Amino acid sequence: MANEERSRTDVALSHEAAQVKSAEAIRAIPSVLTEFRCPTCGKVFGSYANLQYHYADEHPEFVVPETIVLHINGKDCEVLVEPHWTLQRTLQFRLDLTGAKHMCGKGACGSCTVIIDGRAVLSCITLAVECVGKSITTIEGIAANPKWKPLVDAYCKWDAMQCGYCTPGFLVTAKALLDKNPDPSEDEIREALSGNICICGTYPRHTTAILEAAPQIAAGG
Amino acid sequence: MADLAGVNGQREHFRVVGKPNLPGILSYSLATGIAKFGIDYVVPNMLEARFLRSPYANARVVSVDTTRARAIPGVVDIVTWEDEDIKKLGQSPFGGKSRPYLDNIADYEGAEVGVIVIAENEDICEEALRQLDVEWEILPHVVDILEGRKPDAPVIRPPEFNEIPPGMFDPRPDPNHPKKGNVSFAITIDGDIEEGFAEADQVIEYELKLPAFASHIPNPPGSVAWWFDDPYYGGGKSLHIEGAVQRRESVGSMYGLPPEKTVQVGLFQGGKYCDWGMRKSQEITPLLAKRAGRPVRCVNSREETFDFLMKERYMYLKVGFKNNGLITAIDDFSISDGGSQGSSSFGTANDQGYGPYYTFRCKNIRQTMEIVDSNRGKMYLSGQHCPFNWDAGTMAIYLIAEKLGKDPIDIAKVNLHGPDSQDDPRPVPSFEACLEEGKKLMDWKWHPAGTKRLPDGRMHGASFRYQICPRHAFSGYDVKLELRNGEVHLPTQGPCTGIYAVEANAMVVAEELGLEYEDIKVDFDYREKFTPVGGGSDGTTASAWATKECANILKQKILEAVIEEANNPPPPSMFSFGMPQEPSPFKGLKPEDLDMADGKVIVKADPSKGVPLKQATRKNIFATYSGRPPAAIWSLGMGKMLDTMNTAYCEVAVDTETGEVEILRFVVVADPGKVMRLTSLESQIDQVMYFSQGCQLMEEYVYDERTGVKLTNNMIDYKKPTMLDVPPVERKFLETRAGNAAYGASGISHSLANTHMVIIAIHNAIGVWVDPPATPDKILKALGKA
Repeated sequence: MANEERSRTDVALSHEAAQVKSAEAIRAIPSVLTEFRCPTCGKVFGSYANLQYHYADEHPEFVVPETIVLHINGKDCEVLVEPHWTLQRTLQFRLDLTGAKHMCGKGACGSCTVIIDGRAVLSCITLAVECVGKSITTIEGIAANPKWKPLVDAYCKWDAMQCGYCTPGFLVTAKALLDKNPDPSEDEIREALSGNICICGTYPRHTTAILEAAPQIAAGG
Repeated sequence: MADLAGVNGQREHFRVVGKPNLPGILSYSLATGIAKFGIDYVVPNMLEARFLRSPYANARVVSVDTTRARAIPGVVDIVTWEDEDIKKLGQSPFGGKSRPYLDNIADYEGAEVGVIVIAENEDICEEALRQLDVEWEILPHVVDILEGRKPDAPVIRPPEFNEIPPGMFDPRPDPNHPKKGNVSFAITIDGDIEEGFAEADQVIEYELKLPAFASHIPNPPGSVAWWFDDPYYGGGKSLHIEGAVQRRESVGSMYGLPPEKTVQVGLFQGGKYCDWGMRKSQEITPLLAKRAGRPVRCVNSREETFDFLMKERYMYLKVGFKNNGLITAIDDFSISDGGSQGSSSFGTANDQGYGPYYTFRCKNIRQTMEIVDSNRGKMYLSGQHCPFNWDAGTMAIYLIAEKLGKDPIDIAKVNLHGPDSQDDPRPVPSFEACLEEGKKLMDWKWHPAGTKRLPDGRMHGASFRYQICPRHAFSGYDVKLELRNGEVHLPTQGPCTGIYAVEANAMVVAEELGLEYEDIKVDFDYREKFTPVGGGSDGTTASAWATKECANILKQKILEAVIEEANNPPPPSMFSFGMPQEPSPFKGLKPEDLDMADGKVIVKADPSKGVPLKQATRKNIFATYSGRPPAAIWSLGMGKMLDTMNTAYCEVAVDTETGEVEILRFVVVADPGKVMRLTSLESQIDQVMYFSQGCQLMEEYVYDERTGVKLTNNMIDYKKPTMLDVPPVERKFLETRAGNAAYGASGISHSLANTHMVIIAIHNAIGVWVDPPATPDKILKALGKA
């Protein structure tokens, strides 16, 4: 523990290292839950049934959390969530995927963008339970896929980020655009990304990066 | 050229410094979401905490009964302001009056007050807060500072607050003008104001309202902390805290910890925009974790993260000038929002004596400021995005030009003094150069207000402003460089705020050591001292100066080691199996005979004789440098020297039927002294122009006067520019090398921040003034159409 506590920060990454880390983050998500932690009191149970009994005995006035299966970045993951949990909260708190960022909490800024069944969606206003049976792609899934290397490279080459907090949301939106329109015009990019707010004002950099990356992606990287 | 005291400050050829499109060292982590910010951390067995926040603009918690809240399943602990441990928190070891870290007084809506709940999750925290039985004493409030300054206004600040000594960034009490009611005074007088007006041929009087706008840190602040057994250091448990980036040591000291007993691995600070103040959610988690015996997370919501980057100010000016446009007297009276207790006065009272006036040749200046206590909210630490009331001077030049029927650029030229003193009639060289380029880019043809209609029927307006490059690059830096196993390492604490400071420093090391940018290994480690941040590009350029010095010390040590090994080669290793060693090409030479270039150590007289750095020495070598760039104007005092200048221009089209304003373009011609890292410099310019656009056209704090509640503290009602709103920014950089930092570089971005350049362009289009934010309804109202 002490060595872990005092480890150096490992974040100065090449694209290849970021790709590996993203793939590891996806791999680390358990497909099946083996422990069920009570969100109300923190007690841990070995089965969902035991958690349900615990709720009936100890917290009868509370809504019992649900187990759902989410299909994220090509992988089925069993997750314990409360019915009112957003997808953003689920990704961060249950799956340790930190790329969908919480900025506005109201669907106004795009920092939490994920792709659900091919559409860019704001995960801070999407309930996790609504996503069962749908295909969810997060920034981690995009970063782990070599196809999108030109896009990530172009973002880094053109400084399409300053503080970087909103950047994954932009990249996810850009990927959703390029899936539908592999050769977008500058105006189409501006239109597609207009729901993403960058407080640092990096806007012109995104169009430059996407315009540079699009033909490379279309040509297979 | 400046940077005269540093090694290679006068360097003529650059291979790395100034190069565009070199990816940031942390960019891949940021772009792919691997980078974790304070709010992102979730750790096993973690609890959540929430402050009680005031629903009232001014109130006192008389009592609180926590019984019902404590009975909620999942509530672990409740802290109140009366608990002994929190009473001790943050107390100065030197004594003296200070405000308790948590008390029962709320002086703005949303202020943390009285109670903190700790529970198994966020939802239980919220429910526990709802179940507190709080007895509030609701007090009169002030959210309109023009009302708050009146003699009969309710005095909103408890008397004991006035006994707290001012902090570094608080307004200084003026012994000659004691506080009256809610109003403190700051008065600065230079020269003879009456004489100045007597010399004037004409006088203009005008007023302007500087808007308050939000710092709007993208990542809501917060932290998670826990205590752990640490075999490395004795004396009880050590603290691990994430989210208090760059303030690890100060937070640790709040809990009586020496620096080595506080761990913080994460280095992503998010956008700061000079809002360097720590929020309570970033400081309190160690106390809560200690009480709970488990990790505790506490974060602000977005709604709780709408603090000021600049506070509201009303300015009333009277300016005397001669018929050639030369200003002879400035009488500047302003009413400034003092905010809630503890608000920083940066950008307001603290900046008196700075600002545009000291670029003027005029020496007769009176600045009188009333600072009004209010319940509008808080500005933390810095808040200097649009510093130094520069826009008051910009407006003076514009209005004098209007009155005389002249181009404002010509009026600016008449008023600016030269580089040496206020009596120096020579123009500032880079000002002239910037103007020349700016006029070309803009195709500048000045027209009087309300006289130019575009082919599409909209009215055309343009504006111009100048500002000096700021010179607060006076901070000292402690730099360490290492040659380790043949590779050069730059160890740094970080942090990452988005200004690419570490990258600029790595570029300088590469430049000085004849290496490529990619060759420099940047080691991020929270234990390191080097933090190349001290205010955006100013901190970057100043830290780069110290890094340049350190790189040259390392270089000298490397060359000495190479010669020592050439002349006294180490014994062959046991793995050389008796193979003969190649004789060194440097044998018999001296360190001064060598240089470093293209990744090699070479012989100066014959560069074909070279050895790759990795093979040139087997030694591990360390170099350190501690110091600051010399001769920073800001540390020498104001009003005596000018060197580099920047100019900015704005062009708008105003639809007089709908009130809609379109910024057609911004143009910036700036002199950063020396471009260090082009891509991020361009991006900083874009940022500052879009900030300026936002505060002049969109962003607005709206208060309910009756309750004092802020109505726009969310990202739907408080508008920020989107990709569809922002105009093109055309930029051109001149490099006079006149700055005091590395290679003559200087800071840049603050200088271009403004609150009235768009507003002036709108006036130039329609001939009437509109206070920011100039929304369509206000434009139509000003035109008498609504």
